[in-house]
Amino acid sequence: MDLRYSDEDRAFRARAREWLAANAPKTPRPPDGPEAERFDRDWQKKLFDGGWAGVAWPTDFGGLGLSGLQQVIWYEELSRAHAPALHVSTTYVAQMHAGPTLIARGTDEQKAFHLPRILSGESIWCQGFSEPGAGSDLAALRTSGRVEGGEIVVNGAKMWTTAAAHADYMELLIRTDPDSQRHKGLTWIAFDMKSPGVDIKPIRTMLLDDHVNMVFFDEVRVPISAVVGEVNGGWSTAMATLSFERGLGFIADQLELFEKVGRAIELAKKTRGADGRPAIEDVEIARKLAAIKAETMAIRSMTLADIAETDRTGMPGPKGSMMKLKVTATHKALTKLVSDILGWGFFEFDGDRDNNPWTHDFLWSWVFSIAGGSNEIQREITADRVLELPRSR
Amino acid sequence: MYLAPEGEELEIATAAADFIADALPIARLHEGSRPDMSPELRTSLGEMGWFALALPEDAGGSGLSAIEHALFFREIGRQCGPLDVLVQALAANCVQDDDLSAALIAGEQGVGLLVADGERHRLIGALDARYGLAVSPQGAALHDLAGATIDFRPALDPANSLAVVSDIGSAVATSEGARVWQLGQVGAAAMLLGLAEAALDLIVEYAKVRETFGKPIGSWQAVRHVCADMAVANEGARAQLWYAATALKEGRGDATAHLDAAKHLANEAAQFATDSTIQLHGGIGVTDEHDAHLLMKHAALLSRLFGERNALLADLLHAELED
Repeated sequence: MDLRYSDEDRAFRARAREWLAANAPKTPRPPDGPEAERFDRDWQKKLFDGGWAGVAWPTDFGGLGLSGLQQVIWYEELSRAHAPALHVSTTYVAQMHAGPTLIARGTDEQKAFHLPRILSGESIWCQGFSEPGAGSDLAALRTSGRVEGGEIVVNGAKMWTTAAAHADYMELLIRTDPDSQRHKGLTWIAFDMKSPGVDIKPIRTMLLDDHVNMVFFDEVRVPISAVVGEVNGGWSTAMATLSFERGLGFIADQLELFEKVGRAIELAKKTRGADGRPAIEDVEIARKLAAIKAETMAIRSMTLADIAETDRTGMPGPKGSMMKLKVTATHKALTKLVSDILGWGFFEFDGDRDNNPWTHDFLWSWVFSIAGGSNEIQREITADRVLELPRSR
Repeated sequence: MYLAPEGEELEIATAAADFIADALPIARLHEGSRPDMSPELRTSLGEMGWFALALPEDAGGSGLSAIEHALFFREIGRQCGPLDVLVQALAANCVQDDDLSAALIAGEQGVGLLVADGERHRLIGALDARYGLAVSPQGAALHDLAGATIDFRPALDPANSLAVVSDIGSAVATSEGARVWQLGQVGAAAMLLGLAEAALDLIVEYAKVRETFGKPIGSWQAVRHVCADMAVANEGARAQLWYAATALKEGRGDATAHLDAAKHLANEAAQFATDSTIQLHGGIGVTDEHDAHLLMKHAALLSRLFGERNALLADLLHAELED
């Protein structure tokens, strides 16, 4: 074991730090709306022009092909430079799901068309997996596709779709074989969101924002050339995406959490409780802060240990589920604790992230532990694939 | 940067696992075995050089590091091995005198752990010990127990004897600085990790074969999800221990903070895993013939030594960390 960075990795860190110091946006990302979309596209274009787009993507497809460790260094430097975090950007799905799926399963034409557009920020993607009746149980999905000659006609509804109103494309998973059950008979489509017959309705969340949506499909015609993988073979294509999400997809969140604990400690030093004393002098708050700090140190160590393993095997393992459990639990504990530190300030919330980022984060902690596979599903995956317990279903 | 055991580290871990499973299997504690190391076991561990893994070669050690020390004591923990194995290794790192050092490394003289308890001291693992070692973050002191009054008490944890001791006399050897304490933290955290892993393994294997309502209990989510949470806690404790041991080996400025975090996470993981394994086993889990309570009792002891929760958290809060 070894904690020393190679000369190459140190040089990489210095290069990233220097570029970010000169190029990271000086203004915070707008919380939502067209301004946020513009901001995300501009920042992605800047990354692309500067040669920093697609850090995890193979070089053959325009990415940087960075090692796992260099990805960690990159996200650490992004966080240090207060640059926009990838996981809150509307470009997240394109970078972390759609691109990697197309690289794994797309045709040469699909790759040539989509990948450069994703890297340059020209294409924003959203994910069309969950439905009103199919969330954790994704294979229960019912949105249908009728194959008619060279086209597929789509009817149904998708739910919890982040950034649907901004997206140019959707990873659309539908049932193309009406007689099929569960994982069979599904098809994965690189779906053009400008197709006639698409209707987007925002879902207001408890964060008082509209970042998730319902997307309705009424006789929407899709050329069969948009299918990624095989018609009726969509489950396999979808799984390529999910394993990526559970693997390195949370690096940014993991490292940002580390940073947030430091900010919470500073906050506890300067925020006075009802008794007039700084919150940090409350022994319960101090101990909880330190315990959460230890958890974030463990998360960083788990990330580095996971990368050592991934570098050896070449594939993100099932431990991504364990990482998500740890990260979301720690995030929830931290934001809950900060709600105690903030006192009445915690309750002043109008939905604007910039006005009260901690309360926003507190509310978001439930989104975090449900989205992308709820914590209950992550425990199932851990029990099945890491512990190899008998199946529950 | 590579945060997983590799190369010779793995070879040492495997050799340690084989040797310890044979020399002090956890089954010994069901067979009326005495607590602590017997003199025979102590000399046999000494002959293998296990007490001096982290000691430089010119001091009679193996010239390895805190990493190998951690890998060895994780295996000790897996078998619910006695604390005095660790204390013997720490004493070897405390003493400069050649003859005394050689006797400790060889296991010819035993050492128990001295822990202040008000006006007097507690002495753990000293059934056959000539010496008692007191360790703090500031330094370590080895006391000759020849003139001490030792009152052995009934011990909750069958792996180790427990005594009250007075008149410990002056130290025969001392060392300044945090080194011995830090190796104690690595060793105790590693033993707790091994206990936590053993506790999870126990319930995972049982959950595959024990049936309720016509299905293995491992297929019920009430069991599966707690096991998953145990696995997560163990994974965090393991990764942080690797980080801390390596930070100590490399002499990093933030090693102290990483060791405190590693010990805290190991305390928590071991207490959670040993608690949960008893509960999930059901009735069999509270029987004397089962391993589960042995792991729980040993974890309860070890989590109080070389940093208990409140002291660790107080130190950790403001500690600075490096890249």
